[in-house]
Amino acid sequence: MLTLVKLLQSLVKALHSEGTPGQLAAGIALGSILGLTPLLSLHNAIVFALIVLLNVSFPGAMLGWALFVPIGFLLDPLFDSIGHTLLFTPSVTPFFTSLYNMPVVPLTNFNNTVTLGSLVFSVVFFLPLFFATRWGVTRYRATIGERVRQSKWYRAVTASKLYNIYRLFRPEP
Amino acid sequence: MRIFRWRAIGPLLVFTLLAGVLWVLLADRIARRAAEEIGTAIVGAKVEIQKLHIDLTNGDVTVRGLTVASPHEALKNLFQADELTADIDVLPLLEKKVVIDRLAANGLRFGTPRLTDGRTAGRPDGVTARVLAETRRWSEQFQVPAIQLATGKIDVGTLDPRRLSAIPAAEALSARADSSRRAWQTGLDSLRLAATIDSATATLTRLRGARATDLAALSDARRAIDHLKQARGRVTALERGVTGGLAALRAGVAGLDSAKQRDYAFARGLLKLPTLDAPEIGLALFAPSAVAQFQRALYWTQLARAHMPPGLLPRAEQGPPRARRSGSTVRFPREHALPGFLLRTAELSFQLDPTAPRPKRYAGRLTGLTSDPALYGRPTLFEASAPAVTAGAMLDHVHATARDTAGATVQGVRLPVIQLPSLPMALDPGQGTAQLGFALRGDTIRARWAIRSTHVQWSRDSAVQRSTGADLLWRTLSGISDLQVDAGVTGTLSQPRLSVRSNLDAAIAARLRTMLGEEAAAAERRLRAEVDRQVDPAIAPVRARVTALQSEITGRLAQQRARLDQAQKDLESRLRELTRIRLP
Repeated sequence: MLTLVKLLQSLVKALHSEGTPGQLAAGIALGSILGLTPLLSLHNAIVFALIVLLNVSFPGAMLGWALFVPIGFLLDPLFDSIGHTLLFTPSVTPFFTSLYNMPVVPLTNFNNTVTLGSLVFSVVFFLPLFFATRWGVTRYRATIGERVRQSKWYRAVTASKLYNIYRLFRPEP
Repeated sequence: MRIFRWRAIGPLLVFTLLAGVLWVLLADRIARRAAEEIGTAIVGAKVEIQKLHIDLTNGDVTVRGLTVASPHEALKNLFQADELTADIDVLPLLEKKVVIDRLAANGLRFGTPRLTDGRTAGRPDGVTARVLAETRRWSEQFQVPAIQLATGKIDVGTLDPRRLSAIPAAEALSARADSSRRAWQTGLDSLRLAATIDSATATLTRLRGARATDLAALSDARRAIDHLKQARGRVTALERGVTGGLAALRAGVAGLDSAKQRDYAFARGLLKLPTLDAPEIGLALFAPSAVAQFQRALYWTQLARAHMPPGLLPRAEQGPPRARRSGSTVRFPREHALPGFLLRTAELSFQLDPTAPRPKRYAGRLTGLTSDPALYGRPTLFEASAPAVTAGAMLDHVHATARDTAGATVQGVRLPVIQLPSLPMALDPGQGTAQLGFALRGDTIRARWAIRSTHVQWSRDSAVQRSTGADLLWRTLSGISDLQVDAGVTGTLSQPRLSVRSNLDAAIAARLRTMLGEEAAAAERRLRAEVDRQVDPAIAPVRARVTALQSEITGRLAQQRARLDQAQKDLESRLRELTRIRLP
C-alpha cells in the first residue's frame, strides 16, 4: 500500500513539476531502462549517470523506473527469448565473441539472455515511449492539470519533506 | 534550455565516491558471499567461508576457514581448508575472467564431520542437480542380490506340466513309432513273400517227381531259386531300413531320458534358493559400498565435464541467481584468448585422516584447472605422492572426446565401517589400504575399487532378531581378521557391468550351503518326485511301445527270412540230387 501511495505521489509530483513535457518524457523513458533491465548491471550505472547529468526530469525517471519494474518481471520470458535468439544467431557470433573478450564489456552481462533481451527491448521501446509520454503529459496539463494543482490533496503532497529533496533534481528551465 | 545539469555533477561524484567507499568496505563480504554461492552451486553442497580478503593492489586473495560440505553424505564435509592464498592476475578481471597464477592451500582435511546437513543439490534446473540425478540413476541400475539369511526358507514354485519337455517329446515319439510301424507293415506286405514261397513250394513238389532229364522242371527250379534270392534281397533291404528306424526310435527313448533330466533341472530352477555362489555373495555384500565409490567418482567427473566442456563453440549455462529470471549466460571463448577461469598451479598441503592421534601431512599439486580446456590446450593434472600415498588424476577435455582418469592408493589410512546388507552385522576394517582407479573415455567406463585390511573387527547388530543362520554366520565371519575386496565396473555408462569379489565370499557360501543344504536337498527330492509323477505316465507307454515294435518287426522279418531260406535250401538240395552224376 505504501508503495502504491509513493508511486502516486511520484506521479503527481512529476506531472506538475516545472519541467517541460519533453524533459518529463525523457526522464520516464530513461527510467524505464532501469526498470525493464536487471538493475545490477553496468549499463544501468551509465543510465543513472545520464539521468543525473542530463537535464531530464529526475522524478520522471524514478517514476519510469517504478512503473516498469513489474513490467520487466512480467516480460522476462520475452526478454529471455529475445536474448537467446540474438546470442545464438550465427552471423553475430563473431561480434559477440569480440565483445566477450574485450575489457570491461563483459562486466555489463551482455551475454546473459535476459539482460541483453531486456536492454534491446528497452532501447527499441525508448523513442515510442518518449513520444507517447510527451504527448500524454502535454494533453494532461492542457486539460485537467490545473484543476488537480488547485486541489487540497495535491497541496498536501507537495508540502511533504520528500518534495524538498527531489526539488534538488528538478529540471532547470 | 540547457542539456546538461551541471550542478548535479557534485552529487554524482559524491555518489560515486560513496559507492567506492562502500566497495572498499564491503568488497570482501560481497566476494565472500559470491564465492559461497558460486561454490555451492557448482559442488551441490554448502560452501562456507569464514573470511575472505581481496588485495587488488597486490593481486592477492586470501580465504580462511573454507568448508565444503559433501554432496553425498549428510553430516560430513568434503574437505576443510585452514587457508587458501591465491595470486591472481588483475587485468583479466576487467574481462570478467579469473586467472590464478598460483594457489597455496594449507591445512586441507578431508572427510571431517559436520553438525548440519550440507547437501543442497544446487538449483533444481541447474547443472549440479542434473548431474546428481544422472549419477544416482546410473548407480540404481545395478541389480544387487540379497542374501536371504533371516528366514532361510526355501520356497518351491509351481510346476506347470505344460513347461515340461519330456511330455511333448514322449507324445512325438509315440506318433513316430506308430508311423514307423505302419510303414514297415506296408513294406512287409509289398514284399509278397507268401506268393514267392508258395511258388517255390509248388516247384519243389514238381521237382520231387521229376527226373534228371526233365530239363523244364530243372529250369523252373533254378528260376524259383532266383526268385527266392531276390525276395531275400528285398527282405534284407527292408531289414536295413527297419534297423535304422529302430535305432532312431531307441535314440528317441534315450532322448526322453534327457528331456526328463532337463525337466529336473527346470524344476530345480523353481527352487528359490538363497544366493550360494561366491561371486553373487560378493555382490550382495560389497556392491553398495563399491557402487557408492564409483558413483562419487562419476559425479565429480561429470561435473568437471559440465563445467569444463571441450571445444570453442558458444555455450550457455545457467544465469546468476536473482529476483529476476536468471536466463542463460552464454560464453564466447576465442582462440588465443584467456579462459573464463584458469588456475595455473595449486600447491596443496593436506591430511587424509584428521581424526588420527597423529595425522600425517601430505603434499599435492594441481595444474591447469580451467573452464575452457580447449583454450588452455593442456589437460588438468593432479598428483600427490608421499611414502604411503600415490594419487593422480588427469582431466583431458582438450579434444572432442573427453578422457578422464584418476587413481589413488592410500596405505595405512583408517577405512570407513562397512554395513553388510542382508546381514545383521558390520565390519570395521580399521587401518588398511584403499585403492580407486577410475577411467572414463567418452562414455566408456573402467573403474576399480579395492580395500585391504588385516585388522578387521566385526560388530553385530543387536537390534535385529537373532536366528540360527545368523548365529552360524557370525561364528564363521567373526573369526576372519583379513579383508580383501575387489570391485570393478566396465562397459558403457548406459550398460555397465559390475563385479565384486572378496575373501569372505567362499566362507559365506560354504556356510550357507551347510545351513541350507538339507532343506534344499529335500525340496529338490520333492520336485523330482513331482516331475516323475507328471512325466512317467507319458514316457512309460511310449517306451513299451517302441520295445514291442522292435520285437514284433524283427521277429516277423526273421520268420520271413527263415521261410525263404528253408524254401531255397529245399530246392537247392533236390536240384543237387537230380543233377548228381551216377556212375553205373
